[in-house]
Amino acid sequence: MTVPPDRGFSRRSFLKGSAAAGVATTGIAAAPAAPAGPTTFGPGLHEIELRINGKARKVEVETRTTLLDALRDGLDLTGAKKVCDRGACGGCTVLVDGVTTTSCMTLAMDAVGSEVTTIESLSDGDAVHPLVQNFVRCDAMQCGFCTPGMVMSSLSCLQRRGQPTVAQMQHDLSGNLCRCGTYGRVMQAIQRTAQGGGK
Amino acid sequence: MKPFTYVVPKDLAEAAAAAAQPDTVLKGAGVDLVDRMKERLQTPQQVVNLLPLKQQLAGVARAADGALQIGALTTLTELEQHAELADPALQALRQSAGMTATPQVRNRATVAGNILQFTRCWYVRSEAFRCLHGGRGPTCLAMTGENRYHAVLGWTDCVRVHPSNLAPPLLALGAEYTTTLDGATRRRALAELFPAEPRAQNPEHTLQAGEIVTALHVPKQPSGARSAYCESREKQSFDWATTACAVRVVLQAGKITAADLVLGAVAPNPLPRPKAAAVLVGEAPSAALFQKAAELAFAGANPLAHNDYKLTIGKAIVRQALDEATR
Repeated sequence: MTVPPDRGFSRRSFLKGSAAAGVATTGIAAAPAAPAGPTTFGPGLHEIELRINGKARKVEVETRTTLLDALRDGLDLTGAKKVCDRGACGGCTVLVDGVTTTSCMTLAMDAVGSEVTTIESLSDGDAVHPLVQNFVRCDAMQCGFCTPGMVMSSLSCLQRRGQPTVAQMQHDLSGNLCRCGTYGRVMQAIQRTAQGGGK
Repeated sequence: MKPFTYVVPKDLAEAAAAAAQPDTVLKGAGVDLVDRMKERLQTPQQVVNLLPLKQQLAGVARAADGALQIGALTTLTELEQHAELADPALQALRQSAGMTATPQVRNRATVAGNILQFTRCWYVRSEAFRCLHGGRGPTCLAMTGENRYHAVLGWTDCVRVHPSNLAPPLLALGAEYTTTLDGATRRRALAELFPAEPRAQNPEHTLQAGEIVTALHVPKQPSGARSAYCESREKQSFDWATTACAVRVVLQAGKITAADLVLGAVAPNPLPRPKAAAVLVGEAPSAALFQKAAELAFAGANPLAHNDYKLTIGKAIVRQALDEATR
């Protein structure tokens, strides 16, 4: 992402912005020394801290950077996919504070102070989450583009429902579009995981 | 998206002061706003983020007078799943919140944001079209153009439809809204949030610069109250309604003693239809009665070249909503 020229941006304002981000993160009133008026950020680049997959990660963003762009371009977490970029397809689905969210329609700034969980949290080297294993076993993907979002919605469904019914799975996956039509196999993978398979 | 300054207020007063500045917009979850900013339909200098005020402005609670108070920043998922919404009188609201967009959007989108959405008219939402409502041209292009999703009722010089699906059930339930402006708090009937004359030059709402919606209030419903919300759409998920109807009836000893009926997605405003509701009062529910109400709900309709299907489907949706509410 390019920085627009002449935004009055300097290393000093950048550092000030970072310090202020700490204040914003806590969600409480500013310290006594804080100046009157609200905290402002941008419009240029500044650093924020996001909680991603249980770790604090610093990333440089503009105020207009979406969470998806911060993950993909800023943190090299390219699992979440940019497909429609309008919140319509679910390819960019991540969990924010435990619930599925379209990261393309969420500003990165809005995720400060929240716990973000991405598809990358489901693998550690060669070890993968049973749900991911079952996606493979059940052949629940073709082109694979919707798969990271589909897995995150499936994970949320499992976490919330335990043993989801078909109707519940259809409801929970209704924000994820698959052009290849793998929905049936995705639901098989969820059910197999719910029944303890793939461990 | 064009660059902007992101304002993080510490309290409502700071948010209101920032919002009153020129070229500034308020943002809840920003689901609709970020979309419009990506399309460069809106290019504000400043965006005031209201999410830090969630603690104050979100949540569902019973007030002392029995009214249900819904914080402006309550998400649609929180609303749908709240125990208070299990009341059959509030079924319309629960159904409506539960069928909006997708689970991902509902997890984030706020109640106030849903009501204050910008219309989905494809002419005004595309910079390329010189449309009257967008302030880019001399006429409403949808009026004589591709208008299958546009208004059949209540339009004058702009045939946009109001996209909110929470507004019809809230209106049917007699909801009110609270705003804050210049330190003063006002509580008004929800109907006042929508322009009395929804003309092209009017925005979708009547809020003034710097005015912030803080809560919605659904009054205590009488015993025997039931409500339902139905909509027609082309996709089961991530779609807006082609027609919608919210009804609230009070049933006593097998007869309807009070009724409210509000149409959605067919006019520039969510549209209460008091004559259609009045015909229900004093009668026992029946298919013939519901048909009569449905005809009255669409009385005086003036469809465009490509949307007269809305009359047929819309009447069926009215009957379905009445059927569900009285079942």
